[in-house]
Amino acid sequence: MRIGRRDFLGTGSAALIGLSLKADRKIDGSFVNEAAGAGHLLRDHKPFSPAKKTEKIPVVIIGGGIAGLSAAWRFHKRGFHDYLVLEMNPQAGGNARWGENEITAYPWAAHYVPVPGPRLTYVRELFTDLGVLQDGVWNERYLVFSPQEHLFLYGRWQDGIEPSVGLTQNDRNQFRRIEELFAKFRASNEFTVPLELGISSKFAELDQISFMEWLRREGFDSRPLNWYMNYACRDDYGALSTNTSAWAGIHYFASRDAEEKGPLTWPEGNGWITRRLLEKVGPRVRTNQLVHKVIPSGHGVRVHAGEVEYSAEFVIFAAPTFLAPYLVDGFPQLKTFAYSPWLTANLTLERFPESAGEASWDTVFMDSPTLGYVDAMHQTLRTYIDRTVWTFYWSLAEGTPTQNRQLLLEKDWDYWKEAILHDLERVHHDIRKCVSRVDIMRMGHAMVRPDVGSIFSEERAWLKRRTGRLFFANSDLSGISIFEEAQFHGVESAQTVLAKLAGTK
Amino acid sequence: MGVLLFITVLLIAACGLIYELIAGTIASYLIGDSVFQFSTVIGTYLFAMGLGSALSRYITKRLIERFVWIEVTLGVIGGFSSALLMFAFAFTQGFQLILYALVIVMGILVGLEIPLLMRIVKDRYSFRDVVAHVLTFDYLGALGASLLFPVVLVPRLGLVRSALFFGVVNVAIAFWSTRLFAPQLVQKRSLRAICVLMMALLSFGIAKAKFITSTAEENIYADEIIFARDTRYQHIVLTKFKDDLRLFLNSHLQFSSRDEYRYHEALVHPGLAAIPAPHNVLVLGGGDGLAVREILRYPQVEKITLVDLDPEMTHLFSMQPMLTALNQKSLLSPRLRVINEDAFVWVDANAESFDFIVIDFPDPTNYALGKLYTTAFYRAVARHLSSQGFIVVQSTSPMFARDSFWCIAETIRHAGLQIFPYHVYVPSFGEWGFVLAGTRSYVPPKVVPDGLRFLNVEFIPSLFQFPPDMAQIPMPVNQLNNQILVQTYENDWKDISH
Repeated sequence: MRIGRRDFLGTGSAALIGLSLKADRKIDGSFVNEAAGAGHLLRDHKPFSPAKKTEKIPVVIIGGGIAGLSAAWRFHKRGFHDYLVLEMNPQAGGNARWGENEITAYPWAAHYVPVPGPRLTYVRELFTDLGVLQDGVWNERYLVFSPQEHLFLYGRWQDGIEPSVGLTQNDRNQFRRIEELFAKFRASNEFTVPLELGISSKFAELDQISFMEWLRREGFDSRPLNWYMNYACRDDYGALSTNTSAWAGIHYFASRDAEEKGPLTWPEGNGWITRRLLEKVGPRVRTNQLVHKVIPSGHGVRVHAGEVEYSAEFVIFAAPTFLAPYLVDGFPQLKTFAYSPWLTANLTLERFPESAGEASWDTVFMDSPTLGYVDAMHQTLRTYIDRTVWTFYWSLAEGTPTQNRQLLLEKDWDYWKEAILHDLERVHHDIRKCVSRVDIMRMGHAMVRPDVGSIFSEERAWLKRRTGRLFFANSDLSGISIFEEAQFHGVESAQTVLAKLAGTK
Repeated sequence: MGVLLFITVLLIAACGLIYELIAGTIASYLIGDSVFQFSTVIGTYLFAMGLGSALSRYITKRLIERFVWIEVTLGVIGGFSSALLMFAFAFTQGFQLILYALVIVMGILVGLEIPLLMRIVKDRYSFRDVVAHVLTFDYLGALGASLLFPVVLVPRLGLVRSALFFGVVNVAIAFWSTRLFAPQLVQKRSLRAICVLMMALLSFGIAKAKFITSTAEENIYADEIIFARDTRYQHIVLTKFKDDLRLFLNSHLQFSSRDEYRYHEALVHPGLAAIPAPHNVLVLGGGDGLAVREILRYPQVEKITLVDLDPEMTHLFSMQPMLTALNQKSLLSPRLRVINEDAFVWVDANAESFDFIVIDFPDPTNYALGKLYTTAFYRAVARHLSSQGFIVVQSTSPMFARDSFWCIAETIRHAGLQIFPYHVYVPSFGEWGFVLAGTRSYVPPKVVPDGLRFLNVEFIPSLFQFPPDMAQIPMPVNQLNNQILVQTYENDWKDISH
């Protein structure tokens, strides 16, 4: 008798607790900006219908990412408008694309630019045009607001991503020693952005070993230090430190001043730059134009996109360079161009998790296979924020790129959504109560991978020569995928084209 | 009789479960950690029920009378349990002791109910039927109660009234039992009288439930709370003690009606009276309408724009009689336009020019508010300033938060304005500071409006004198990308409290 009753009150109360805890939200979402289908048409040499009409245009830019748009920006500034940008996707921007919902604009890939130093004349010129740099002062609104970054480790938060809590004396010594080494590399002026302005063969042997190998040789065995170095490689190159060229690993740390403030960022990340560039050159950009054949000759280049044949005098190939053998007639196979597969996701949050810590721009979990997330509402001027969008970054660096591309394609949205939420749940136990939408972008070839030996590859030097009528401009020419390199090659190509056009007249 | 008997069982079960849920919920509300509170409350309650069941064997005589007594006692204790727990939390240190004592007493009484009832009816039905029926209705009653509690009772009645309501039900069962088992009962009349009396007592409690709740909450603030509301943006509380009306936003004191005139006269007149022909005035923050009240003293001012984030705040100060008496219905002035928007966003999106701009935001206690004290913000505001105009900024206390005050002043200066810092004494705040800023030099006014209680033209120049303990100290500039003011402010107040 008592047992029955006891049971009963117990279950009744349990039911109440169940009711009082709000059920998880329904989470919507899908894969977005899918490009694999179009890309694989090229890979598999599918037949395209022949051109139905021909357009004569002096210059064609293939690819509407930062490299292509920067070439267009240079043309625009010089008053040259006889060019077209052909972009495969429905939206220009490449790795600087953005999205928008009723809460905020948010990035789909690159989300900041480090404050450019004096060597980066083109970047400074652009930022002066865009009002980011005014009378030598960086506009406060575009420098990342405080608090900037935090790392979750050992069950707590710390400011900054370089581990600073729970360090032993040995860890501390190693962090100090490696900073001294980086300072020496920095002082050598070999490790610059743009890479081309400083590089010589002086440290070429560092390109022959992995960053991990270099760390081992130099006696760096601190676990937090190795985590941080590996994180930097995964974050910037989509590769583990064991797969990254030591030269590239060092470049990341030695190419910029340690005391730089910034970086520069916007709610939509580098999408803001794309947006502002499109304000100027948008009318010359044609989207949904899958270029499927490029035929260079002695007096011009023919470019086939859809059912149009463009007859150009010069072509700037600003699309990822690995596509060249599939598009360009008689182009040799490339050996040293490897790319990292990535996944980014934009999560719509109806509220902040209780466990979010101090609202920061960039959040990283130590020892997570993912890279963490960026809060798109961080750069808002609003004082009251209840909803937001988090951009979640994941470079699939463990294993080979080919395997990971396969995995990206095979698994469905639900699989990746769960993988992302599981990762976030390690710190934000209530994340499922906050998220209403997860949109995922899969990129099989997100960025060039600075593998061992790739920086000093002869192929790269050959592609950078800018002779003939077809010029390469993608950031992958430098071997590292960053905004400044893309812009540099884009602008330089445009200037070469302008010089050649002037010479032919 | 059968059906009525089992309805009694159903109601008993419901009452028992409700008291348990109320104890668990109140403990969770007041202490937090709901898993722990619910677990321990349920565990203790069930254990006490077992104790009650065990004790039931010692009741051997006059079962019905005892049963009625148990129901009455349980009704009264359970009915007032909610109020008792709230008072215990507000007025004593021993909330948990009282909580578990109450849970044990109620559990024992509930544990006694069913065994007694089964023994009372055992001769009318077979044992098999008694067990089946009693338990069926017992479970049904608890199901009903557990659904009713979160869906209807808590949202509609609240915790105090829900408990009292079920107390009435419990005593009603007692009353009903005196009729149901009338043949076996002596002393029916006195039992029924007690039931009626207790029901009246509980009903009185229901009528006064609001008073009970507010009395308990009041103890958190020093004075009587006359208004409390959670808006989308903040927690607004108004307290009153005799003639002193106080406004708290997120528990931070905004004004006391006894001395707010000092604050608001000092905020407005040193700047506004020094402008030759002010026509267009902007107020950022200040949804209480008190700064607007002072601005309305100037007949030359044709237009005032008030930008305050929270519509409930401006609505409250437009409608509530005690508050409109204080701000003299300033928010209803035809010269005023109220805009409920984020100040930074509004300032950025508009181009209008103003002769006087009042910036009266809460102190920079977090990074969100800190944005409103940056060079980026002051630069954006300065674009709206006419050449003759001034900006005045509420700048915390130069006494208690000296670093913060001078950090704000330095930030405004860095935004390209000339600064004229000043301070006043406001008893409920202490020494308080403002920064007047503009693109020209400042000359104190020769005339101020009539009817001021605090300021006159002779006194105003003295506000700009800073004694050594509040004098200027070099401070860095607060910017969006460093937000040093928030940390500075936190350290300033930490120093005070230690």
